[in-house]
Amino acid sequence: MLNKALIEDVLSAALTTGGDFSEVYVEDRFTNLMKLQSSRLEDSLSGRNFGVGIRIFKGLNSVYAFTNDFSRDGLLQAASAAAQAIQGTASNKNIVLPLEKQTVKPLHPIQLLPNSVDKTRKLAILRHANQVARNYHSSISQATIALSEEEQHVLIANSEGTYVEDTRVRSRFVVNAIASNEHDMQTGFYGPGRLQGFEYIEGLDVDYYAEEAARIAVTMLNADAAPSGKFPVIIDNEFGGVIFHEACGHGLEAAAVAKNNSVFANKVGEKVASDLVTYIDDGTITNEWGSINIDDEGEKARKNVLIENGILKGYLIDKFNARRMNEKSTGSGRRESYKFAPTSRMTNTYIAPGQSTPEEIIANTEYGIYAKYMGGGSVNPATGDYNFAVNEAYLVKNGKVDKPLRGATLIGNGAKTIQKVDMVANNLGHGAGMCGASSGSIPVNVGQPMLRVSEITVGGREAN
Amino acid sequence: MDINLFKEQLFTEGAKLGFSDLELYYEKQAGFGCQIFKGEIDDYVSATTIGVSVRGLYDGKMGYAYTEKIDKDSVAFLLENIKENSLLIEDDPEELFDGNATYKDRDFYSTSLSNVTIDKKIQLLRDAEKKIYEYDPRVVQTDYATIQDTMVEKALFNNKGLSLQDRNNFLYVVFSVVVKENDEIKSDFYFKLTKDIDSLNPEEIAKEAVEKSLSHLNGKTYPNKTYPVILKGSAAANLLATFSPSFSAKSVHDNQSRLKGKVDTVIASEVVTLIDNPFLEDGTRSGTFDSEGVPTKELTVVQEGVLKTYFHNLKTAKKDGVESTGHGHKPSYKDSIGVSPSNFYVKPGANSYEELFGTMEEGIIITSLAGLHSGANQISGDFSLAANGYFVKDGKIIGPTNLMTIAGNFFELLKDIEMVGNDLEFSPMDYYGYIGSPSLKIKGLAVTVD
Repeated sequence: MLNKALIEDVLSAALTTGGDFSEVYVEDRFTNLMKLQSSRLEDSLSGRNFGVGIRIFKGLNSVYAFTNDFSRDGLLQAASAAAQAIQGTASNKNIVLPLEKQTVKPLHPIQLLPNSVDKTRKLAILRHANQVARNYHSSISQATIALSEEEQHVLIANSEGTYVEDTRVRSRFVVNAIASNEHDMQTGFYGPGRLQGFEYIEGLDVDYYAEEAARIAVTMLNADAAPSGKFPVIIDNEFGGVIFHEACGHGLEAAAVAKNNSVFANKVGEKVASDLVTYIDDGTITNEWGSINIDDEGEKARKNVLIENGILKGYLIDKFNARRMNEKSTGSGRRESYKFAPTSRMTNTYIAPGQSTPEEIIANTEYGIYAKYMGGGSVNPATGDYNFAVNEAYLVKNGKVDKPLRGATLIGNGAKTIQKVDMVANNLGHGAGMCGASSGSIPVNVGQPMLRVSEITVGGREAN
Repeated sequence: MDINLFKEQLFTEGAKLGFSDLELYYEKQAGFGCQIFKGEIDDYVSATTIGVSVRGLYDGKMGYAYTEKIDKDSVAFLLENIKENSLLIEDDPEELFDGNATYKDRDFYSTSLSNVTIDKKIQLLRDAEKKIYEYDPRVVQTDYATIQDTMVEKALFNNKGLSLQDRNNFLYVVFSVVVKENDEIKSDFYFKLTKDIDSLNPEEIAKEAVEKSLSHLNGKTYPNKTYPVILKGSAAANLLATFSPSFSAKSVHDNQSRLKGKVDTVIASEVVTLIDNPFLEDGTRSGTFDSEGVPTKELTVVQEGVLKTYFHNLKTAKKDGVESTGHGHKPSYKDSIGVSPSNFYVKPGANSYEELFGTMEEGIIITSLAGLHSGANQISGDFSLAANGYFVKDGKIIGPTNLMTIAGNFFELLKDIEMVGNDLEFSPMDYYGYIGSPSLKIKGLAVTVD
């Protein structure tokens, strides 16, 4: 992507003012987006993202510059502009170790690159999903089916001698269905994705996802408003894991922990969660949406146990925050693109399976809320206060699933909520999502088995 | 490669391949951002990037592609992909704008802002951060102490001779402060966007950021019920931003807007007037043409409660038999032409924020909302959102509440607006446009307190 001699020159130019670490990140990414709406292909967009990010550390100072001027002059200029921010002088410590290419062992086999497949083959699948969603019920008034694919090539080199290249191929299939009657419109969504090529899309059970999206929309059209108050809440598997992504995951990222901006800071070895909670971030799961071969700082993907049987074991750490914390990287440095400096982020994060069955959890709940599909949410890492939406909810009465509910939002404090997990089932599942933070929007999986929290505040429209 | 050379190669090669029309959209962004933490430069970013997108008419059908790599290879990449995409697209035919129009002679680029040195920007951060720590012993630290300036240059060319250029620049600061008392941790932030760095005063920043954060300490719980609510300007702006796609004719045509069929009918209380002004001095979306090259103009979208028009681009306007309103914007060169506001806001009323809650017997003030990307259904208008704020009794703020949710429906809320404040604020969340509102007094919303 760039030749080795030029990379070495850029790494050296970055250290001329006393920096003690420099890094070059080159990205060349091809994207395709096809969107079928109103039963016709409205968008077919192709693009190429290309640019270079240059990063310098000096102690706890960090400087980042990026450009898509990839000429020798352009890159050296960007490197020295960044170096100007560090006001020191070079010494014998400011050296670039010789670069020797390391081979990345791919953990995630890819068969069909997106650009090797004719778009008409892709369109046929979109059309099929559209038919399935629209045929589901007469109240389905609109369906949007999208396929997004990307092929990202990266080169990462740094002054410590790291010099690696990697290719990441991702495919995601998204179904949005709208159900409407004279006075209302409700939506249903399903968006499976993997770190895989077109073979994933071709093997996907499209009928299932299209029908589920349509079923959610129709169910919500006929749902009552959710009640307000504090209830036991049963959260189903797969994307249900978003609650712990928001409530705990972000607070375990070094970006928050290193500055003491997290309720989990300085608590390794302490009990922070219910005994039933084991929380893991694993970038190595084969072909999962949030998986990686190497992170965006060139570190190998790994499995990090964050909480084990309620005891805090560790954090997700990137190279810069590792300095502040006197720790090592955990392979968690990620970024959306060359336009962002990397920071500590999640990959595939999940609650490990427990002993109960889903049926037992429902049967053991006298009165509560069952959140079948979760929407997104957010958290303030400093306070741990989170919120998230339930896309499909039900009332649970006397151990049985009762009527559907709409408009339920769950709020609370992450550190408190994980102490209140009182049942965990054995049906672990993962769901794909996009996670936004200071280093941009990146693909992550959230996951969990079905579990129950003894009490969460539910905000609905039925104030009483 | 120089952009003019790139353009020429593109148009020449395109003609050879049989494209009848070609358009090149060019966007250049240059920016500087810095964050400090306890006096140290924690993050420092300088960047210049270019992106171009191309639309081309092949065999009467329009295709798109974009690139950030400006070289000879990309010319071939773009033309090949545009051709393949154009053959598949089944949407109504698009046309390129001939540019036969008058454009406002305005420049939104401030030379004095571009001349502000990096040292001066960093000094402002240091001064304000220092004042924040000095202001109150309950300040634990800052979550963000950040400055960012951005310059955007846009240009549009086609092979029929159209050639347009716009530029804009602005600077913003964010100071988010974490405070702690006993075991309770709270945070809030100061945000301001401006072209005049001298309008940012470190003492005022510290006062506002710290007092806002402290004001949430010692929260209490209150009964869950429907209360009269005041949405502070920035919270109201975030809510309007979230539901702004409903005002687009594209959403209406796609059956994704509840405003379908509502032009010239009452959709809001008579105190509500909504304006889109592409010529605001400090607007991040100010410009003289949209992404299709259509001249922008000031537009009253809702007048005293009556919906006057949707936002249109060329395609939606043609379908409705009206003129484009100059809202054929694309969020970036990576996107296709959509329909979105420029600088869109609720017209300020006469009363101050204090006068708004002074009229309340019992009610809730909402200072901020969270979860807008998940807890709001953009199509139905239903929302159930996490919120922070205060409890009001007999016209006085009693104190902060614990974390709340407020639930309602945006389209019902528009009709329930009883008073509009005079304190117009713009939302920092600007994906849909630069969107603002003064504080709004709402008849009632369902409130749940943790």
